[in-house]
Amino acid sequence: MKILIVEDEPSLREIMVRTLTREQYVVEQAADYASASDKIAAYDYDCILLDIMLPDGSGLRLLEELKKRRNRAGVIIISARDSLDDKIEGLELGADDYLPKPFHLAELSARIRSVLRRHQRDGYECLEAGNVRLWPDSRRVEVDGRPLDLLRKEYDILHYFMARPNHTVDKAALAEGVWGDHIDQVDNFDFVYAQMKNLRRKLHDAGADIEIRAVYGFGYKLIRP
Amino acid sequence: MKLVYRILLHLTWVLTLLLAGWAALFYFTLIDEVNDEVDHALEARAEVIVKRVLAGRELPEASADGNTGYFLHEVSSEYARGRARERYTDEEIYIPERDDEEPARVLRQTFRDADNRWYELTVMTPSFEKEDLLEAIFYGILYLYLFLLLTVLLVTVVVLNRTMRPLYALLRWLDEYRIGTSNAPLEVETSVTEFRRLNEAAKRYAARAESSFERQKQFIGNASHEMQTPLAVCRNRLEMLVDDPQGLSEEQLGEIAKVQHTLDYLVRLNRSLLLLSKIDNGQFPETEEVDLGTLFRRSGEDLGEIYAYREMRFVMEEQAPLRVQMNPSLAGSLVANLVKNAFVHGARGGEVSVRISPRGFEVANTAAEGPLDAAHIFDRFYQGSRKKGSTGLGLAIVDAVCRLYDLQIVYAFRDGRHTFTVNFPK
Repeated sequence: MKILIVEDEPSLREIMVRTLTREQYVVEQAADYASASDKIAAYDYDCILLDIMLPDGSGLRLLEELKKRRNRAGVIIISARDSLDDKIEGLELGADDYLPKPFHLAELSARIRSVLRRHQRDGYECLEAGNVRLWPDSRRVEVDGRPLDLLRKEYDILHYFMARPNHTVDKAALAEGVWGDHIDQVDNFDFVYAQMKNLRRKLHDAGADIEIRAVYGFGYKLIRP
Repeated sequence: MKLVYRILLHLTWVLTLLLAGWAALFYFTLIDEVNDEVDHALEARAEVIVKRVLAGRELPEASADGNTGYFLHEVSSEYARGRARERYTDEEIYIPERDDEEPARVLRQTFRDADNRWYELTVMTPSFEKEDLLEAIFYGILYLYLFLLLTVLLVTVVVLNRTMRPLYALLRWLDEYRIGTSNAPLEVETSVTEFRRLNEAAKRYAARAESSFERQKQFIGNASHEMQTPLAVCRNRLEMLVDDPQGLSEEQLGEIAKVQHTLDYLVRLNRSLLLLSKIDNGQFPETEEVDLGTLFRRSGEDLGEIYAYREMRFVMEEQAPLRVQMNPSLAGSLVANLVKNAFVHGARGGEVSVRISPRGFEVANTAAEGPLDAAHIFDRFYQGSRKKGSTGLGLAIVDAVCRLYDLQIVYAFRDGRHTFTVNFPK
């Protein structure tokens, strides 16, 4: 899988390159509009991470170029502007997703995987980890081919981790991802523990070979067999 | 006090003093003039009689008749010497015909005949009642005073309304002026220099306020945007550290988690500031029909779960569905911030209640302490009691959303409960 990172901030670019390389992607990088344009013309990519605020032009123009070339690469817009106009315009120009800065690295890789899956399997989406399979479209979970009944929040938590395997997730980030933005003044995460306890018991009882392991003092991590 | 009343009050004082002084002057001048004339006549009559006495001719018949009467009697030389030759007095004279006393002007004159005998001659003439004159003048002046006052009132009102029209127009314009919204232009036609200068000054200051408001908005927006990338770098470097397969000690992970939480706080603060600046810049133009009851129910369930450790009850009463045209994400912000506020600041073990009516809604919570400072709770970064992790922007966002949609939001402290009421315009 080949990924092009178009980002002008060197430090952030380096982080993204290192993270994605570690996840076994082939990563290319471009620091500005001109070099990104050259790379798109010369090579094919499976996924492009595109910062739309570049020193020598807007990333949105790059999207138009891709459209003209009938390039099938999946595009995730990365923007510091978090503006609905940019998002709508980007998606209309053929971008697959929109990720506002600052994002979590786990979130970034989840989005990349989702885009890649959609492009390869033509919209048929299924997350797989060990003997657990999860269909986000129908909110269905199977363990070893047998359906597993989960409550709403339990399902959301499992989905969150299966989209981010091998990432250690901070419990505050998990709470924000599952419960929404309202957790900013929470100083007690009992509600996460309670749901997590039930989810882990259900997974264990169903014979799942994955485990959501607690990382003491920090949060959780999904461990595949 | 209105200008017209102030002017009137001053004119009333001045008129009162002026007319009172004038009335006194008029009265004394009049009396003086009348006495002068009467005294002349008395003197003439006295002269005739004195001449006849001295010439030894026959005198007219002496009588007490008020009009022409006179008395003549001899006096001692000591009496005569001790007095002025001619003395004028105002006296009450008894008139036998009418059996009554009448006011009269009296002249007493002493003289000496050839035999060195002293006589005193008294002549008199009826005069008028001074009290009557005083009363007549008083009423005359009073009527004049009231008439003048009325005239002044009418003239003042008319003149003020005419000439001050540009001033009132300017005042109305200033009253309705809201910085950062589209305001009607100040259109006042006037040839008065002072008013023209006032209008120009008002326009100049409005423009200045407008431009500094604009700059401030842009600054907040730009600063927040500029911070997003460095925040991303910090957050992601820490995440890389945590994801490192080499592994960190629990203690190190704990420290990183603390740094990340502080960073999360910064990210949220930045996001809230951006949201505020976007609301102020009107960057949420698209609206759709939003069912606030559904939003409140979902928000209450989620937050009830999150804040379960605070043991608070969430009660919802929906008298009628409330569907409004709003931007869905702003409606979400409005609802979530109010409900979260109630959960965070409510008394532990208390109640959070939401009441929805066709015209608006009300979010209340049992108070842990006394009433909040209603003048400042909607200010940015104002926090009555600092709560950990709180950005101090929640109610500022609520206020900004309300301003955007012309909703009326009121805070009240009733029966030990903080209550926020939002009314939708019909």
